[in-house]
Amino acid sequence: MTDRDRQEMQAGDPRLIVQWARRYAKSRTISFLVQWVFIVAMVVCIGIAASLTNMAYKGGNMVLFTISVVAMSLAILAFTWFSMSRWGGELIWQITQWLYGEEGYVAYLGDRDNGPTPWWLTALGGGLVVYHLAGALLVSFNYLQLKYMQPFSAAYMVPFLAIMIVYQQLGFWAWVWPVLYALHGALLVAGVPIAFTGQWQLLNMVVPVFGYGLAAIVVGHIYSRFALKQLQRVTRSGLPGETETPPPSEDDTP
Amino acid sequence: MTDLDRTIHEPARLRILTILTGVDVSDFNFLLTALGLTKGNLSSHMDKLEKAGYVKVTKSFNGRVPHTEFSITEEGRAALNQYWENLDAIRSLKPPQEP
Repeated sequence: MTDRDRQEMQAGDPRLIVQWARRYAKSRTISFLVQWVFIVAMVVCIGIAASLTNMAYKGGNMVLFTISVVAMSLAILAFTWFSMSRWGGELIWQITQWLYGEEGYVAYLGDRDNGPTPWWLTALGGGLVVYHLAGALLVSFNYLQLKYMQPFSAAYMVPFLAIMIVYQQLGFWAWVWPVLYALHGALLVAGVPIAFTGQWQLLNMVVPVFGYGLAAIVVGHIYSRFALKQLQRVTRSGLPGETETPPPSEDDTP
Repeated sequence: MTDLDRTIHEPARLRILTILTGVDVSDFNFLLTALGLTKGNLSSHMDKLEKAGYVKVTKSFNGRVPHTEFSITEEGRAALNQYWENLDAIRSLKPPQEP
């Protein structure tokens, strides 16, 4: 951008208004945060039930074993239903709207087709699940050490996230997730001691998946605060009285 | 001399249309947040833009909650482009020479 361009792009400049409105719309991440909370809550429920099942099986307590298997099955069913049902989508939307409150709703999809998800994207999502199941099997049969599960996962997850970000035209904040995920995997392969050990080994997957996802969401939300302030600055300046234009009179009608 | 569209020339309406050019849809509260106008004032501007055919209003329900969304129409986009072209044409006019 030249100095002349900078001088021309002053408050009230339509290019700045469009730019900041778009940046704000693309960095509203509270809906992702609400989904994140639901997913983490469900994963915790399933994890607790699975852990109880394991303990009951080892202790030979068949009553607790039966209860925990039923609880785990119900939690998985509830998670699947919530993820796929229209009610789940509406609930997330309403919570998001409530959290944004008076700030209102705005959306920018860019030139992305608003129709059904393309088949290749669904196939990539299915591939992600199959790939990780294969990884879990490799760990189970000792072909892969548990501490290398995250780098194994990153080999599919990082390109998958990158494709999703480009396809959904998300803001820069979304790249925080795959970049940190890839970096984590690279550090583990390089032998940097950042892995959880002993009974905490599962956290080697849980922390990068949910922790870096949350980091991206938080970065997006912070940026959206900045973008909104900038939008208000460029939009409100130049308006009579800064905050209120006189009520439209008949004089300004065509 | 080139005429400017007076519906668009009003500063608040010009900004409303510009914001709607940058996004796909917006609701009333977001426009209030961005512009800092009063509800009555914004409502009046939205009525004028809708009557001019520059803004499309979509009313729906999310569950039981009513929701109104605004988006710019093709006519609104064309009118806004024409407005900027006309403004550029006026800016390029040379002031009359002093005798």
